[in-house]
Amino acid sequence: MKGFSNQFNDLPDYILKITKEIWEDRGLATLHHYYGKDIPMRFPSGLVTGNASVIDGTLATLAEFPDRYLLGEDVIWSQEGDRYLSSHRIVTGGTHTGHGAFGPPTGKAFQVRTIADCAAKDDVIDDEWLIRDVGGVARQLGWDPKDYAAWQIEQEGGPDKCTRPFHPSHDVTGPYTGRGNDNEWGGKLADILQRIMAKDFTVIRSEYDRAVCTEHWGARNGWSWDFSETDWMRLRSSFPTATFEIHHQIGRSDPGTPNRAAVRWSLTGKHSGPGFFGAPTGAEVHVMGITHAEWGEWGLRREFTLIDEVAIWKQILLHMGES
Amino acid sequence: MRGFDSKWRDVPGFIIGITKEIWEDREIGSLRKRYADGLIVRSPASVVVDNSNVIAATMATLAEFPDRELLGEDVIWCDDPDGATKTSDAYLSSHRLFCTATHTHPGMYGAPTGRRLAYRILADCAIRDDAVYDEWLVRDQSAIVHQMGADLVDWTRDLIAREGGPQRCVQPMTPANDVAGPYTRRGNDNEWGQRYADTLRAIMAADMQVIAHRYDRACALHYPAGHDAMGWAEADHFWMSLRAAFPDADFTIDHVIGRDDPLMAPRAAVRWSLHGKHSGWGRFGTPTGAEVYIMGISHADFGPFGTGDPTIRREHTLIDETAIWKQILLQTGLHE
Repeated sequence: MKGFSNQFNDLPDYILKITKEIWEDRGLATLHHYYGKDIPMRFPSGLVTGNASVIDGTLATLAEFPDRYLLGEDVIWSQEGDRYLSSHRIVTGGTHTGHGAFGPPTGKAFQVRTIADCAAKDDVIDDEWLIRDVGGVARQLGWDPKDYAAWQIEQEGGPDKCTRPFHPSHDVTGPYTGRGNDNEWGGKLADILQRIMAKDFTVIRSEYDRAVCTEHWGARNGWSWDFSETDWMRLRSSFPTATFEIHHQIGRSDPGTPNRAAVRWSLTGKHSGPGFFGAPTGAEVHVMGITHAEWGEWGLRREFTLIDEVAIWKQILLHMGES
Repeated sequence: MRGFDSKWRDVPGFIIGITKEIWEDREIGSLRKRYADGLIVRSPASVVVDNSNVIAATMATLAEFPDRELLGEDVIWCDDPDGATKTSDAYLSSHRLFCTATHTHPGMYGAPTGRRLAYRILADCAIRDDAVYDEWLVRDQSAIVHQMGADLVDWTRDLIAREGGPQRCVQPMTPANDVAGPYTRRGNDNEWGQRYADTLRAIMAADMQVIAHRYDRACALHYPAGHDAMGWAEADHFWMSLRAAFPDADFTIDHVIGRDDPLMAPRAAVRWSLHGKHSGWGRFGTPTGAEVYIMGISHADFGPFGTGDPTIRREHTLIDETAIWKQILLQTGLHE
């Protein structure tokens, strides 16, 4: 790991260790070292710039959920010279004992997944795309995601003043402009997603293992083909004419590990169909998505996809407020 | 695969294929050739001898749960050269299934609840000559009972009554009523199986500290009663509360398989047993002193992650808690 401290064996080791150091070991101030001063962080809820904002965001989250834990389930990564991109899948949870983004403490516990795509060079993360399963957290703390989005708009000062969910028109070019690697498994996952978004839903039965376990946004999971098919249909049906783009793809075939892939994608366009988000409203929506997959001898065995439903509802509600 | 139908490409293909043919494609009569004459199927709830009884049990299950599906999650298998014959190769397959079903008709589980069920089974099958000839199976009965909305102990008490009371009810498997079968081998000596067996031995010897060394910090855990969890504290809690209930019981490793296949994580399948007194506080409440036999099957996936040292990244362990409660209730008279 040229340019990195020799306490790290490899990129997954670096990612797992600094995540634990920052959150569970309370090293918030280490973000001055580990995060770039001007890092752009793209959340579905909005663009955040600079490590000072990251530190404050981390602090606010820990104030709300002091026992928050982050279990690193996988790190799927690519390398270009001395630069790395890590797609880190985390199972995270905590108890809602403090005031914060989810309102007064409810005493309830949550557990959801998060996927963070971080670009790293010389011990420092300087570019990031992060999807938290905010819809899953909201539900587990007793909110309906749509109601939570409406409450969030109000808390942030109403439709005119509230934070705008991320849209490509807000994006900035950060230090990382790579597109991943050209491993065949990344290509395979990208192809599966492209076929789903082209409404060729036969792809699930042909590419997924019959015993596939699918873990999706909203902290929901299901077995075999039906769950995955239905979920993808409902998502595409909500935005049937939206433009689908693949932004980043990684495949890996590591010894001692199944073949796997990480793809970051988006849907941009109108909320013009039924599915997950009620009656169509015509709202212009940007959906940031990250999918991880693992294969076995019988096809794709595990699929993990996150989107942020609350950020989608917020875009829909803001549009409804305008019209 | 000498001795097997050429349509099966490998052991997992055979196991997953015949499971689907028998259950979902309704070829129940094929058990007459797929299951050998005199075959013994041991589960914690019973010891069933002969394929005619297996056919009867299969039909009883399908009468109660007609839409049952059996998804083959994994097959961890080994060669059995000592079991091979002039006509056939032999293998031992440890099959992990994820089953779904709707409880639409009355049967062994009582009046239909209409509930949608999802639960795991771990089944060790000895196979040769295109047939299963010896079997050990653990079904996650407590997941089924919980999903039906029942209390585990009450349901077990009712089961004893439905089966005709303590004298006439089906007796859970114990060393006393087990029937020795033709498969007497102990698995293979692949390092991953040995590594997992050593870990379980250490845990059962109360060396609980091994969990933080041998399991990944984010290890995914799948335990009885359909309990899915992650991380060291959950692994510690499951094993601790099991061992605590039977602190003096003999722990035996009965069968060990390890595999390192090209497209898969290195993995292991271990069949084990605990036999002794229910003499401690733990997963089964107030100690009763009942003598209990527990057959468990555990699967593990390993992987190098973080530090680069291979650790357990997924564990699946099943025991049948209704069979444990049945033994406790029958011996203590608490079935009344």
